[in-house]
Amino acid sequence: MVLSGALFTRRVQFLAALLRTGAPVTRNGDTSRRVRNEASIVLGQRKLLQRIGPGLIHALIFWGFLVLGPTIVIAMIGAVSKHATFPWLGDQGWFALLVDVFAVLVLIGVVSALWIRKVIRPARFVGSHLGEADLILALIATIAITLLLWHASRIALGLNEWPAGDAPVSNLLSRLFGRDGVTRVLERVFVWAHVVTILGFLAYLPRSKHLHIATAAINVWFGRTGAGGRLEPLRFDDPDIPEEDIRFGAGTTADLTWKQMLDTFSCTECGRCQDACPAFATGKLLSPKLLIMGLRDQVFADGGSLVTARAGGGADNGPSSAELELAALVPGAVPEESVWDCVTCGACVQACPVSIEHVDHIVDLRRHLVMVESSFPSEAEPMLRDVERSSNPWGKAQSERADWAADLGVRILEPGEISPEYLYWVGCASSFDERARKTAEATATLLQRAGVDFAILGPREACTGDPARRMGNEYVFQAFAEQNVETLNASGVGKIITNCPHCFNTLGNEYPDFGGDYEVIHHSEVFARLVAEGRLKPQRSEGLTITYHDSCYLARHNDVLAPPRELIGAVGEPVEMKRSGKETFCCGAGGAHMWMEERGDAINGNRVREAAATGADTLAVACPFCTVMLDDGVQSEGTGMRVADVATLLAEATAPRSEPAT
Amino acid sequence: MILCFVAGTEDELSQQAVAFAGSLGLGEVRVVAIDGPFAPAAWAQTLVELGAGAEAVIAPGDDRGNELLAHVAAKLEQPMAANCVAVTPGAPATVRRVRWGGSLLEEARLDGAPLLFTVAAHAVAAEPIAAVETVVVSDGASAADRVVVVSETVAASGGGVSLSDADVVVSGGRGVGSSEGFSVIEELAELLGAAVGCSRAVTSAGWRPHTDQVGQTGTKIAPELYIACGISGATQHMAGCKGAKRLLAINPDGEASIFASADYAVIGDLHEVVPAISAEIRKARSA
Repeated sequence: MVLSGALFTRRVQFLAALLRTGAPVTRNGDTSRRVRNEASIVLGQRKLLQRIGPGLIHALIFWGFLVLGPTIVIAMIGAVSKHATFPWLGDQGWFALLVDVFAVLVLIGVVSALWIRKVIRPARFVGSHLGEADLILALIATIAITLLLWHASRIALGLNEWPAGDAPVSNLLSRLFGRDGVTRVLERVFVWAHVVTILGFLAYLPRSKHLHIATAAINVWFGRTGAGGRLEPLRFDDPDIPEEDIRFGAGTTADLTWKQMLDTFSCTECGRCQDACPAFATGKLLSPKLLIMGLRDQVFADGGSLVTARAGGGADNGPSSAELELAALVPGAVPEESVWDCVTCGACVQACPVSIEHVDHIVDLRRHLVMVESSFPSEAEPMLRDVERSSNPWGKAQSERADWAADLGVRILEPGEISPEYLYWVGCASSFDERARKTAEATATLLQRAGVDFAILGPREACTGDPARRMGNEYVFQAFAEQNVETLNASGVGKIITNCPHCFNTLGNEYPDFGGDYEVIHHSEVFARLVAEGRLKPQRSEGLTITYHDSCYLARHNDVLAPPRELIGAVGEPVEMKRSGKETFCCGAGGAHMWMEERGDAINGNRVREAAATGADTLAVACPFCTVMLDDGVQSEGTGMRVADVATLLAEATAPRSEPAT
Repeated sequence: MILCFVAGTEDELSQQAVAFAGSLGLGEVRVVAIDGPFAPAAWAQTLVELGAGAEAVIAPGDDRGNELLAHVAAKLEQPMAANCVAVTPGAPATVRRVRWGGSLLEEARLDGAPLLFTVAAHAVAAEPIAAVETVVVSDGASAADRVVVVSETVAASGGGVSLSDADVVVSGGRGVGSSEGFSVIEELAELLGAAVGCSRAVTSAGWRPHTDQVGQTGTKIAPELYIACGISGATQHMAGCKGAKRLLAINPDGEASIFASADYAVIGDLHEVVPAISAEIRKARSA
């Protein structure tokens, strides 16, 4: 017991010391939300139960061990003296029943888990440490079986502190044993086997992927509580941060934040992230699971030097962490190609039962590659240059930004003027892209029809910096964030309507970090409200079937699910795809992939085939990038569906009879 | 003394670099060329040895010159400024240099000895080079420095006419229909001495290599005439061809957005229109 305790404590102290070497990141506050996360994600197993079968199996084992927890102490007391037990609880019949029931449930869980792993063999386990998982399942089974047998032998010997009938399984098993010397020996064997297995498990646990038993609850506690789409800003010119501590993303393990390290400790290699990943599903190199496992292996490989460097702290006491010659994370721990495969859709983060934040890891790796190594897919270079030079990713002239509105009588807010109640932030795609412009025209027309007082910034609107940020060019992003916040604040902007989920996410979730606090509203939300208030009265087309594709940055990252569906219901007959709502499947444009070449199968093709399978006439979207990607997909797949933004559909359904639809 | 590396006496950028060196007023300009295959690290070692005691070591601001001086700077552990248009010696020296492909001029201090910089194209007018000393790679260059590995050889596409420099580019889009369908595009390109391009949809479908792509994620072109066949005119494509002086669009869909930017429009199937144009060119030439 002492040995096991010492091994366990030593490892935990090492892991804690390792976490203290991590770069700072703020994960305080919002305690009520964190308590709720513990209750639902840890105790309620909510994220595990996203997959009902394997989720239930895990929940049985997890809940089983919560109940069986006190029996560890009872067994330890029992191991020392066969006549002693834990005061009160050890005598309770109802507790004996609970233990009986949950020990059996744990065994059912173990057998089902083995069934999944050995017979069904889902693809999500490819690359995981399968032998380790088998060993752990065997240990769990041993713990449950020895417990039942110990109870059974005690009943046979009449040593049970509770009525034998209260523990039906143990009682049944007791028939295997006689009331003789053999049983007396076996009773000792079972209790010691039980205790030794638990102690062995305790010593082995923090050295295995089962470390998650200890870290998952902590990782969930420190998980993000705000919108999933917000990225942590890098602090380039914070006077409180010494120059050598300024992070440019993650180049080596010394650059990882403590939360990122804790993420890697918490990974159970379950592969749910990989199963949800659109890049993996279309044959790209990226597997979010292998990425986290690669980082974890590197963290443990560097762990000793990181802890020593931190303790020594430079000068004559050995190298400081900045002076350590650590291996580069890319390509050492993570292949470069997989870093660029990510579309930042967040499906992995949502699927993860232990609140690992894969996208933050990937963006930090990109930041280092772009800002320090200048190494990124060359086809994206024109986008970065055009954002920086021309304030939009296609290098169009800013003077043409409001050309789409030329004949619509839209007010352009001049410098010095104060914004009306709503500022319509058009976004680059809807300003310049031929297909996406239709959304801008529809949005403006609808706002006019409903009598909403709004204006646009015209040539003073610049890219939010989102594509540069998702590429890893935090520097360019921050320059644009500061410029746009200055423009918006100088115009007294309070409420912003936007039809681009990427602008929506950046303006609403990321600009507060740069002094921009606005109420940002997606156009689908505005229009759903205007329809509900009767200010827009769409004519419903009977028989027009429409399937709605959720944008990752709207649905998954920002929980806007109902408003676009209300609009679809108001203009036609909705048909849902299987992967919808927060379970949506990316169009392929996110994470700056709009400006990168795709390797492997096309993500948009995969999605368009799913949409076509619904038999719907129209594929509705609420994002200009989804519009372009899915329209391209429809053309290359030859599925012949119409791809249209919800605003376009609503504008058609509300068009006065004499006025042609926009 | 200033050590000035040149690629050759006829090389215009080298002539400009030598003229620039002469204008600095730092004494004699020693002009050297290095014999043998390009090996940047070994050549840099040679310049380091020749430049011992020099006030400045400079090179023309082309790919090789910049690479070479970067190696020199690394070996000497001194700062280096690339693509300078003006240099005022002093302690520290000030330089004005071209950044971001010519969109920015940066004023910077260059604190190092010797001064290491390359000269941007057209910073000064070229002058004939009076005397050049041709040397071989110094014995001081290590065996590792001499090794040059060819990691990739990129074949020129489009029958020898480069996409970015071509006066005429003929491109095909999704409307071409297949890899084989490009024969009509290639035929017209050959008659016009043009380069063949394509849209992103075509490279995504694997009909043409990525090196042929015209667009935001491919090559940006600025030909006298751009002939776009079966291309709808997506923003990503137009971002790559907006530099074209004249645009002829051929597309069966009269609503295609490419017609908004086209100088000449043919609404029709490229598989009929393009062979007809080729036939017409042949007829005119044989007449």
